[in-house]
Amino acid sequence: MAKGESPLKQFEIQPIIDINLFGLDISFTNSALWMTVTTAFIMIFFTAPFLKSKKTNSVSDLYPSRMQVAAELGFSFINSLLSDTVGKEGKKYFSLVFTLFMFILFGNLFGMIPYSFTFTSHIIVTLALAMGVFIFVTILGFVKHGVKFFGFFVIPGLPIYMLPLLIPIEIISYLSRPISLSVRLFANMLAGHTLLKVFAGFVSALGIFGILPLVFIIALTGLEILIAFLQAYVFAILTCLYINDALHLH
Amino acid sequence: MPQLEQVEFFISQLFWLGVFFVILFSVLTYITLPKIRAFLNQRDDFVKSHISKQDELIKKAESIIENYEAKLKEAKNQASEIINDAKDKALQESETLIKSTEEKIQQEIRQTEERVTKEKDLAISELNVQLKDSATNFISKVTKIEKGNITI
Repeated sequence: MAKGESPLKQFEIQPIIDINLFGLDISFTNSALWMTVTTAFIMIFFTAPFLKSKKTNSVSDLYPSRMQVAAELGFSFINSLLSDTVGKEGKKYFSLVFTLFMFILFGNLFGMIPYSFTFTSHIIVTLALAMGVFIFVTILGFVKHGVKFFGFFVIPGLPIYMLPLLIPIEIISYLSRPISLSVRLFANMLAGHTLLKVFAGFVSALGIFGILPLVFIIALTGLEILIAFLQAYVFAILTCLYINDALHLH
Repeated sequence: MPQLEQVEFFISQLFWLGVFFVILFSVLTYITLPKIRAFLNQRDDFVKSHISKQDELIKKAESIIENYEAKLKEAKNQASEIINDAKDKALQESETLIKSTEEKIQQEIRQTEERVTKEKDLAISELNVQLKDSATNFISKVTKIEKGNITI
């Protein structure tokens, strides 16, 4: 980092290819580049190990390779996550939760590579993902329950005189779901990467004592990798919970 | 903060996010996940089929053991029957032998007794005869002496 450069400069979007479609600026930026990398990596990582599946019945063909075990791990992780929160009905939404989780996870993880770009650190991206989940879950609730879906805002077993107070609170908490969902991910990524950059600035400023912030940065990088996983997990599990709410109301 | 300042790139980010998310979602839904599922199912089926095969084999083994045990029991029963028969036969034979021997002994005893009594009788009668003879002799001798000629 050059002297005097803001720690926030890493979040700047730089267009790589200028594209203009019907007057809209849809330039291919560094953000889009890392989305490409993430998408390609996920597709290759999960598809390639299963491409040459021979239909033979000898035992040795059924031993999974290392890559197959790794892909299977991700598969069964989301599978158990869905069945724990939603149950058997959750299988229909498997690919949605799987895509969301992997997209966010590898977006976060690729963001940890030095000089790369973390597209999940942009509120517009996380908000779009969260709004997508929110709209999907709301439509799902209405399709499943029709008008009864409004009963979601009425807590069962509550005295009637409490309802005028609690229904608005419930509605506000429901509407704030996409905001909390998106801000949580965005803020975590932003804070972590900013902190790393700030301490990286100390390394060059302190000279020989820069070893101390350097050690701290190494530890913090480990923590950031944990957070990268954790935030993807939180996003996925909240999506599962919202799906569960839409399917079962209370 | 570039996140909120670079508003001009919002549409570009949304566009590319949509494009890549849809591509990823479609590829995962229609190609990748069915492949993984098929692989896992194949393995599950293999394991399940082996388990059922194993159950069958266990059942077979159990039936063989049962068969064997039944046959063993039968053989044991037969053996004990044969042994019992032999015992009975031997017992009967020995009993008849004892009986016949006892009978023989008794017969001999009887014969001996008979012989003894016969000899006794004979001896007594002989003695009687001798006694009579000697008596008559004695009497005749006496009468001869007293009256001359008297017969009884």
